[in-house]
Amino acid sequence: MKIKLLILAVVLRLLVSAFIFHPDIKTFNFQSQFLKRGVLNIYTYLETNKSNLSIKDEFVYFPLTYFTLGGYQAIVSPFLGNEFVTWLNNADSNAFTLDPNIFKYLIILKLPYLICDFAIAFLLLKYFDDKKLGKKAFTLWLFNPFTIYYIYAFGNVDIFPVAITLLSLILVKSNKLKLAALSLGIAAGFKLYPLLFVPFLLLKGKDIKEKFLLGFIPFLTFGLISLPFISQAFIKSTLISGLTTRIFNPGFDVGFGESIIVGLSLFAALFYAAWLIDKKLNVFKYWLAILLIIFSFSHFHIAWLLWIAPLAPFVVILSIKKSYLSYPLFYLAIIVTIIPLLYQDRSMSISLYRIYSIWFDLIPTPFTLIQKFFDPYNLQSILHSLFAGGAGVIVYRVFKSEKLIR
Amino acid sequence: MKKMIWLTIITVLFLVLIAPLVLSLALKIIPSNVQPSYDSNVRVSLYKDRELTQEFIANNNNLTSIGTSIRNPNLKNKKDVIFNLYENNILIRTSKLNGLNLEDGSFVRYDFPPIHDSLGKKYTFTISSPDAGAEETIELFIRDADSSSGIVEYMYLGEIKAGGIPMVQYYLPINKAEVLKSVLSNFSARFLFHRSQI
Repeated sequence: MKIKLLILAVVLRLLVSAFIFHPDIKTFNFQSQFLKRGVLNIYTYLETNKSNLSIKDEFVYFPLTYFTLGGYQAIVSPFLGNEFVTWLNNADSNAFTLDPNIFKYLIILKLPYLICDFAIAFLLLKYFDDKKLGKKAFTLWLFNPFTIYYIYAFGNVDIFPVAITLLSLILVKSNKLKLAALSLGIAAGFKLYPLLFVPFLLLKGKDIKEKFLLGFIPFLTFGLISLPFISQAFIKSTLISGLTTRIFNPGFDVGFGESIIVGLSLFAALFYAAWLIDKKLNVFKYWLAILLIIFSFSHFHIAWLLWIAPLAPFVVILSIKKSYLSYPLFYLAIIVTIIPLLYQDRSMSISLYRIYSIWFDLIPTPFTLIQKFFDPYNLQSILHSLFAGGAGVIVYRVFKSEKLIR
Repeated sequence: MKKMIWLTIITVLFLVLIAPLVLSLALKIIPSNVQPSYDSNVRVSLYKDRELTQEFIANNNNLTSIGTSIRNPNLKNKKDVIFNLYENNILIRTSKLNGLNLEDGSFVRYDFPPIHDSLGKKYTFTISSPDAGAEETIELFIRDADSSSGIVEYMYLGEIKAGGIPMVQYYLPINKAEVLKSVLSNFSARFLFHRSQI
């Protein structure tokens, strides 16, 4: 790719970084600042000092996110300036949004995302044996509006586990299965979702011993990362998080208080299919299917969509060879991106633009606007159902394409 | 691939340039001040004949709304909460909100037809909930006098004190160009502020 295009890719990312602001990035950087003050266990620290802190939210990520963000903040603090700490500790949303330094803060705080973002592009380039395909995947990653929006508009820390999970996929392809398992465990040290892929990785093991190791290594790694922090505060903040509660959301009632959890049932079906039917197990297909199941059958956060993004170029490559797939895939991406915009949550839509003017607080959200002539929940359900149906067909096509994706 | 590159450029430009312009044009009213801070422990209760009377000076012409934060403890008040605006003791505007729509601690706005020549004039308003009983009180936060938001003095239970509710005045812009100009000048003043540059 020409250097001009690389520069363009960086400039586009910096524009979104500086001008679109989701307050979550301030919250978890507020929490991560305590690392440079010597706080190692952020979970108990926040719980113990809640009454004295200006922002009282829990730290919902796993320890590696805290250490990565906190470590980075310590390194760049000379560039952030003396007023940065005051800004972090300011809980007045009008005051911190109107601070003229906010543009500088946002660009600096989002720089690690830029590094991970480009690392993912280069991992994709490396993944494909066919250099042409590699270049296509590289370009598709850097030039698609979806990932730029998911990463930089929302200050999405999920970029760290996403990059490591992709590395794991590359290691699987190179048949370095134990290292792939280790990568999944490390990725889970940032956020829990990569552990969902472990059951499919362990099936790649040649014998019982290897299968056991492939299943054990990620959990051991994750355990070693988490163990020093195990406490009631840690469990409350992280393990009872959105993912675990939403993914196991009951589907339909079977009577006497029991219900079938749709996402979990499909997960189990995929696992059994991989175990009992699939003779040439390709983890990529299963990982993609698992993520599509999660997004199809749970109330997802827009940040989660980044999990599937590095897998999307593979599917697009498939769609380049089977060109009839590219437009359906694009429409599905639009639908799944629109759904969170319709949530009754200002920070998903209008509030992203408060940096331009806090007067935008006077503008009704898409949810409120739609409410005037249609039930917004119903519209969300319609779009979600359309996505689920389309995603099912994409999974079917991917599973049918034996030679195109290895 | 070229299509995707162009699509990405257009989307990013839409996100950072066009969307804020569209949002600016969607603004129907403009606040003339940011809500001043207040101590959430300092409050007055409104029910029956207990009302709050406050004096303020309008910051702009076309005054069309007054906003403040209201408490509706346990959402018990389901009665009308009435806002009356007076000029020289003559009632000029009335606006009502129902307690059913008042979430506890929420910021609410009393909208009324614009007063075209309001700039610099002194007005008085009352907020009351005469149909509410003692167990259905509405509470208003109170702060000190504040010139930027026009807060001068208030009267409660016959006693006059400096200060009042932490209010925001809203006015109707003359046209959309005025709104756009205000948003852009405010934004560029912050963006071009010397310390905002790396």
